[in-house]
Amino acid sequence: MILTIAHIMWLALWRDRGALMLAFVLPPLMFFVFAEVFSGTGEDELEMRVALLDSAETPATVVLFDAIHALDGLLPGEHSARDRHDLEAMVRAGRFDAAVWIRAEPDADLDADAPIVVIADASRALAASVVSGRLQALLQTSFPELGIARAVALVDVLAGPYTHEQQLALDDALAGLDRDRAARGLGDGNALASPDGLIERRMLTGAAVADDGISYYAGAVAILFLLFSAMQGAISLIEERDSGIVDRLVAGPGGYGVVVFGKGLFLTALGLAQAAVIFASAWWFYGIDWPGRFGPWLVTALLAAAVSAWLGLLLASMCRSRQQATTASAFAVLILSAIGGSMMPRFLMPGWLRDLGWLTPNAWVIESWQDIFWRDVGLQDLVPGWSVLLGIFLVAMALTLWRAGGLARLK
Amino acid sequence: MLADPCRLAAGRAALLLNIDALEFAFTGRRVLTGLSLSVGRGEIVALLGPNGSGKSTLIRAICGRLRPDAGSVSVSGVDPHADPQARRLIGLVPQQIALYPHLSVLENVRAFGRLSGVASNRIGECAEYALETCDLQAVAARRAGQLSGGWQRRTNIACALSHSPELLILDEPTVGIDPPARRDIESLLGRLAGHDIGILMTSHDLGQLERLADRVAFLKDGVVAASGKPADLIAKYYAGQREWDVMLLQAPSTRQAGLLGQIGLVADPADGNWRWRGLVDEQTPAAEIERVLDGLPVSQWRVRRPGLGSLWRTLYPPVPETRR
Repeated sequence: MILTIAHIMWLALWRDRGALMLAFVLPPLMFFVFAEVFSGTGEDELEMRVALLDSAETPATVVLFDAIHALDGLLPGEHSARDRHDLEAMVRAGRFDAAVWIRAEPDADLDADAPIVVIADASRALAASVVSGRLQALLQTSFPELGIARAVALVDVLAGPYTHEQQLALDDALAGLDRDRAARGLGDGNALASPDGLIERRMLTGAAVADDGISYYAGAVAILFLLFSAMQGAISLIEERDSGIVDRLVAGPGGYGVVVFGKGLFLTALGLAQAAVIFASAWWFYGIDWPGRFGPWLVTALLAAAVSAWLGLLLASMCRSRQQATTASAFAVLILSAIGGSMMPRFLMPGWLRDLGWLTPNAWVIESWQDIFWRDVGLQDLVPGWSVLLGIFLVAMALTLWRAGGLARLK
Repeated sequence: MLADPCRLAAGRAALLLNIDALEFAFTGRRVLTGLSLSVGRGEIVALLGPNGSGKSTLIRAICGRLRPDAGSVSVSGVDPHADPQARRLIGLVPQQIALYPHLSVLENVRAFGRLSGVASNRIGECAEYALETCDLQAVAARRAGQLSGGWQRRTNIACALSHSPELLILDEPTVGIDPPARRDIESLLGRLAGHDIGILMTSHDLGQLERLADRVAFLKDGVVAASGKPADLIAKYYAGQREWDVMLLQAPSTRQAGLLGQIGLVADPADGNWRWRGLVDEQTPAAEIERVLDGLPVSQWRVRRPGLGSLWRTLYPPVPETRR
């Protein structure tokens, strides 16, 4: 009898293609996405999109520029930046994970500013560490004379010849260097030079100091749950089809369009409320400036809720049964969220997966909220993202109404 | 019953529903092939036919959901496909319990009334009318999903009445409920017809239709194969005949089958050839038939006047299992 039950369950699974996909296709797909991300998080594997700029343009810096350009794991991109401010703007806008600015030719002058500057966004702090680390490795292996020259100069400046007294003085000076570095770190948290003084790291903070990446996770979680609840809510379309309610409603003067629009309206309002709850929590507990940026937030939230609602309704209109819709929605939400950055930051992903992410609403919604809360961009810079979301919403709505119209005639 | 406060001031055409030479093909298959049918005010018309005979397609066409390939449908003189407002004249009661189970009876009636175009300032009195008509006041506050089958069926009808339609279309309105609840609904339908509402219904309960329907229409191959008052149809097809219905204890031998055939009985393949039925001239002496049956393993037999069931079997003869 026990085996009979097991056999019945096996047949049910075998004959339900959706459940089979959920059981055997989704897990390896999710594994694939996570493996692509986390197998590449070692220093050697992570790919970082960087903007390179050589402001010195001496023979030595040209060689250095070419060496950085050819460095494994760095993906230099085309840009038109002319100075540090341009680079900072591009990094802040999310076009690059980091920027490398060769400010001057590296030499033994310890009093000058660090000749190489790595610029990164504090919301992608890992990118700054990775790029700096690779530059350090490059300088030590390919340009060892730079480090040695600076070390010799340093020793010369600090201790002179290695007499007993000098040794004591050197020890003292090295200890002092540590103290100085610590003091610099406290005094200027955004600019941190490497111990040899060759590389300076500049971290760009968000619009709100209190943000600390919270706005990213608020947005990522919000769109994930908006999609989940919209998909679940949209399944009522199938239940009403099965129960005959749709038959009754389409016989009325409003037709099926009224039913679908009504559901779209409710699910959009529900999504908006959910997003508001999440961001209100982020504001209340973590201090992000939600009230101060409420207008742009509302536009993005409204578009995110509408996109989620109509994608859910589209999916429901394409499914024949509740079971099929449940399976398909789980599949869709998990894949969209994994690729779109709701489960882990997209800058950790390999380049091709990052590009694929732009096909998901998650990526556009998260970037839009990042623009608002972290990068504090102007309205004109938000328009492209909003346009994409508006386009997804309109296409999903048109397809849903087209599908629903067919179902109303044929049901 | 209350006077209907929500009835639209529509024209008072004698024919409420008029279908003329309706044709419709679906994915190349001709489902309706020139069907004509009418329903008058206060008339109960039953639509009969096996699965695939075109009943559902016809109901969709009446509700304006399909554009006919040829012919016409009009409700109170208006084409429901061309003019969605004409659909306000129609109330549809689906075969399923088409209610929101988490809403109360009253909330369901109000919701479907609003969705059918009743203005918010009139929905209260329209809902009250529907509840009273269907004797639902006692359960108005209860959730639809918690009611028994009979109450749910009545609520199903009340929702279709919430916008005071002139034509009520019911698809198997009494399926799955006990005889007392069925009789209540039959009584309700009779009262509605008395209120000038035209009723078009489908049902497989032929006895119920004989009691209730003013006219029946048998659909076959996309047209009305036979229609009229039940008594007239039976008289027309079976004047001077009686139907014999014989149940055997086992399938008969070839010789026994031959004897049954001689007296005009034929096997019903749906019952594994254990059941034999046939129309016999009422002048034929019963003793003659009983003599034949005496030599057979008969468990029971009866003789009755032919009814709609007989006509059904004549129009839709049983298909042997091997041909299904």
